[in-house]
Amino acid sequence: MTEDRENLQIRILALSFLIIVWYFVSITGISPLPYPHNVAKTFFSILVNPEPVLGRNLLQHSFWSVIRVLSGASIAFLIAIPAGILTGWHIKLDSLISTVVEIFRPVPPLAWIPLAYLIFTGFSNPVQAAQIFIVFVGAFFPCLLSVREFARSASKELIEMARAFGAGDSEIMRYIIVPSSIPGILSGIRIGLGVGWMSIVAAEMLATSGSGLGYFIMVMYEVGGRAEEIISGIIAIGIIGYIMNEIVLKMEKRLMRWR
Amino acid sequence: MIRVFSAIIVMLALSTAMMGCTQEGDAVYTVRLSPPDMIEQLKLKQIDGYVAWEPFVSKGVKSGGKILLSSNEIWNSHPCCVVAYSEDFSDDRAVRDVVWAHIKATEFINRPENREKVIEYAAEFTGLSRETVSKALDNIKFIEYPEEEKFRTYFRFLGDSKLLKKSINELGFNNEDEFFSSFFRRDIYEEVKKELEKNPNYVPDKYDGSIRIGYLTADLHHLALFVAQKEGYFEEIGMKNIVFKQYPNGVAVMDAFRAGEIDIAYLGGAPATLKRVNDDTKIRIVAGVNNEGSAIVVREGINSIKDLRGKTIAIPGYGTVQDFLLRMVAEKEGLKVVAK
Repeated sequence: MTEDRENLQIRILALSFLIIVWYFVSITGISPLPYPHNVAKTFFSILVNPEPVLGRNLLQHSFWSVIRVLSGASIAFLIAIPAGILTGWHIKLDSLISTVVEIFRPVPPLAWIPLAYLIFTGFSNPVQAAQIFIVFVGAFFPCLLSVREFARSASKELIEMARAFGAGDSEIMRYIIVPSSIPGILSGIRIGLGVGWMSIVAAEMLATSGSGLGYFIMVMYEVGGRAEEIISGIIAIGIIGYIMNEIVLKMEKRLMRWR
Repeated sequence: MIRVFSAIIVMLALSTAMMGCTQEGDAVYTVRLSPPDMIEQLKLKQIDGYVAWEPFVSKGVKSGGKILLSSNEIWNSHPCCVVAYSEDFSDDRAVRDVVWAHIKATEFINRPENREKVIEYAAEFTGLSRETVSKALDNIKFIEYPEEEKFRTYFRFLGDSKLLKKSINELGFNNEDEFFSSFFRRDIYEEVKKELEKNPNYVPDKYDGSIRIGYLTADLHHLALFVAQKEGYFEEIGMKNIVFKQYPNGVAVMDAFRAGEIDIAYLGGAPATLKRVNDDTKIRIVAGVNNEGSAIVVREGINSIKDLRGKTIAIPGYGTVQDFLLRMVAEKEGLKVVAK
């Protein structure tokens, strides 16, 4: 309990320090940054009231960004988790796939944007498809690697012992490999969502879909004089990223205990 | 394990379902796109039309679109691009020399006997075919000084649509007249014009300082600057230390002004006005570049403004002249224009 309280105190301290530095920068005019209280006012006002230029509030913009991330990331997880388990378990399969993975893994998701638009030209909604694809690329690799790592770390003695008692591949898979990769799956989901979230905001900035936080920030910048709105958008991105992370962390804790 | 998977599948199903519901209504929906993207997305049927300037109008027509309305039919001789200089750049002689070169080049472009040469320059400047630029050139009116009254109309539109963040008083002016007499500087243009009328071969005093000129990449409206270079006008006034800087759009030019990267620039009147007010980027307009030259381009099947009901039209940015043109015609037909 005291530890919790201490933790909270440190958090508040960090936040107030940030705000003090921010005020310092605004007041001294080192940079024409708007005052924190003005940003707070703008943030809460456009959180629910539509912002006049685009006619939407921050919640609506956030909603669309989140939807795109969830769909792109879910597709990535559906492929990355089984692939991670299989490659973690089967050495030959791993060397087959890992060459390809190692080539594409270091490519930043944003580098895929122009190609994505070309690939999805024939789709009914190529912009949306391309954005989802970019999230997919961002979420896929961290998830795959994390799952593979844990699947690989399944106790070798346990597997040998199971074999000695006559267990088949499917039983080893089900009772040893999969359970030991669950922590990897959860952290993979967490990291994947995080990278996907970063990618979607950038992808929305480059091409227009008419909604989303990235689009909102870009339009605010172009119209000009809207530093408060831009920072509000950034705060929204931060908060949502934080919430997503926390949700998966909670899930992780609960599932671990359950196991 | 199964729980995790079912959670992911539910997530996927939910988000796909959400994406399926798009709004259908009776307004005209706008999205912001860069003009090259507009042409691509019109081809892909992602948008039903767009409002852009030349050469993106003629280019779009070439790849399957058609012109619904030219901008001069919507708002006759509406303002477009201007020449502006930074208030931090206090060398009036240099500004005057650039204005002189600009007037000479604009006169050159507007002389019918130069038509062939102008097309050639335009093709070289934009990298487009002669056929496309010659069509595009017909839609652009190259001018020397803009109509201030038209800018005031546009300025009021910005205010009415809540696009302006600062009031004129906050910028340090008592009223609109005072603001415009600072924003528009006519005396340099008039002085040069008077000299040229007295003597068509008038060349101002040589200027040997350095100057940095910004303009938009391959923007046909800014042809005068290219012609001035090609016809050697800058050499005639002894300007040797010129640095030309290209920018993708007017917003970038205004940011370059603010960052002190350029002294004078060709840019759209819209970003100039928007950012002059919203960001208090101190610039003054000393010459006009062109009027008109935009159009509403749509796909087959749309034959009137009324047909735009429920359709998605791309504009190059909120608060641009193109945004204003679309609102003008749509509202005349009783259609609301809202961001998608």
